[in-house]
Amino acid sequence: MSLSFREKSLWLMLASLVAVFGFYFSRALPADGANVGPQQTSLFIVAVVALVVVQVIGHAAIAIADRRTESDERDALIELKGTRNGYFVLATGVFASLCAALVTNGNFVFMHVLLAFWVLAEIVSIASQLFLYRRGA
Amino acid sequence: MGKKRGLLSNSIRPVRLQREMTQQELADRVGVTRQTINAIEGDKYSPSLEVAFEIARALGVPLDEIFRYGEK
Repeated sequence: MSLSFREKSLWLMLASLVAVFGFYFSRALPADGANVGPQQTSLFIVAVVALVVVQVIGHAAIAIADRRTESDERDALIELKGTRNGYFVLATGVFASLCAALVTNGNFVFMHVLLAFWVLAEIVSIASQLFLYRRGA
Repeated sequence: MGKKRGLLSNSIRPVRLQREMTQQELADRVGVTRQTINAIEGDKYSPSLEVAFEIARALGVPLDEIFRYGEK
C-alpha cells in the first residue's frame, strides 16, 4: 500500500489531533467549576502549541522522505467532500453548544462542548478523506 | 467528477503498457499524481474533461479510443 504525500499528511493530522486533544480532555475533565479556569486555559494553550509543533515537524519529515508534494483535481475533490462531512458535525456542535449554554451555568460546558465538536468535525473530515483515498474517490 | 461509478470505462492500462510507460511517467506528463492515474485505470475515479484530454494526448491516441461512456 503506497501512500501519497497527502495521505501521509492526513494520517499525521489525525494522530496528532487524537493524541493532543485526548490528553487535553483527559486532564481538563471533569470540571472543577462552572467557568473555564486558568488551569484549563494554560492546558489549552499547551495543547494548541503542541499540535502546531508536532504538525510542523511531522510535515517537514514527510516532505523530506517524499518529495512529491503536488496535489491535483482528485485531491481537491476529496478535500471538498471531507470538509463537507466535517461541516455537518461542526454545525451540529454549534447547535449543541448553544443548547448547553442555555441550560448550564458558566462557560465551562459551552466551551468544552464546542471544542469537542470542533475536534470531532476535524476527525470526521480527515477520516472521510482517508476513506475516499482508499476507495478511489 | 467521481459520480456515476461504472458508466465511464477506459483502456488506459493496455495502451500505456503498449507504450512501455509507467503510471508515474504518465502522471508526470498529465500533471496529476500516480495515485490518480491508478484510480482512473481502475474505474474508481472519473477525471475531468481536461485531464481526460491530457491522458489521450500523452498516450498519442484519440479520446474516444481511451474512454467509453455507458458501455463496458
